[in-house]
Amino acid sequence: MARINDVGGTVGFGAVDTADDPAPFHADWEARVVGLFNALRAEGLFNTNEFRDAIESMPPAEYLTTSYYERWFEAIRALLERKGVIEPGELDD
Amino acid sequence: MSGDHSDAAIARRVRRMETLLEEKGVLSGARLDEIIDASLSGASPANGARVVARAWTDPGYRRRLLADGTAAVRELGFMEGSYQRLRVVENTADTHNVIVCTLCSCYPLRLLGPSPSWYKSEAYRSRVVREPRTVLAEFGLELPAGTEITVWDSSAETRYMVLPRRPEGTEGLGEEELAALVTRNALIGTAAV
Amino acid sequence: MTDRFPPGTRVRTYDHDPAHHTRLPRYARGKRGVVVEPEGPAELADISAQGRGDAPLQQIYAVRFAARDLWGEGDHHVVLDLWESYLEEDPDER
Repeated sequence: MARINDVGGTVGFGAVDTADDPAPFHADWEARVVGLFNALRAEGLFNTNEFRDAIESMPPAEYLTTSYYERWFEAIRALLERKGVIEPGELDD
Repeated sequence: MSGDHSDAAIARRVRRMETLLEEKGVLSGARLDEIIDASLSGASPANGARVVARAWTDPGYRRRLLADGTAAVRELGFMEGSYQRLRVVENTADTHNVIVCTLCSCYPLRLLGPSPSWYKSEAYRSRVVREPRTVLAEFGLELPAGTEITVWDSSAETRYMVLPRRPEGTEGLGEEELAALVTRNALIGTAAV
Repeated sequence: MTDRFPPGTRVRTYDHDPAHHTRLPRYARGKRGVVVEPEGPAELADISAQGRGDAPLQQIYAVRFAARDLWGEGDHHVVLDLWESYLEEDPDER
């Protein structure tokens, strides 16, 4: 029942792409997502452990095909829905 | 920056979330901008490099740093007000340390700046706890067979930073010149200086 | 708060697979290690992750494991920071 994030020792992820990336974010929205995380946590809407729990609760197939900061965004969305701040589907176009 | 189609969809959803939070009175755009600016200002591997250079040149500071990393980096103005603790682990002639977070991506952001993509990758997180020697070789770091490797898996509230070995032939260098030699990977343990 | 496991204590991690968030990775469950030292107390992540306000404050220990005990091979060590309730004294050492 260990979750998909718990990858220590798992075989099959291949070689490490050791390329350096000096820019912290590859797109502006990534920086905005990190800002949303920090701001909402500071406002007391959730704590870091709840946030990690939300990331880990993603379906494994989705987790593995989602980029790092997209996982952050999906976790924030899930927490905001759970806490009744936004309605399910409210972020859709 | 990146403007490809898949990126546009997520960027739109992020904007929509910001708008909704502002409309609902949860978070203003101004406050969000303020937090984004604050969260990155001052977080840089130059901080960790400065700590290392001080430890290389001041034996008393090195002792304090290894005994209580949090207190020692606060002497230099880093990690003030952070709830996290810092443990600095020292490489020697026959021991090597390397840092990972297998469960997520914990990292000493204040001292090292935002983490590189490979640090957050499943490949690094899954393999370095199991076959560190092979992974380090992929980074170009070939350790002698007799070197004892310790992998620090950041699973709770402590963050780790490596104190690399001071390279030979640097006796004449000052603190600033030494700091310039220290790379981010050396502070994580995937490179030597 | 008195530390239950002083440095050098031989411990075994619980071999438990909880349905909720935890910070004991699966590769280190039911494994023998040695306490390096206490890291300082923090709220138990397992409870705090459920948004509950009653997470107990517990000591966290840096625990050192031999790769051979984790993977059956390897000559390195792995150190994990583990909450007190993830640990028991190694029953073979009592």
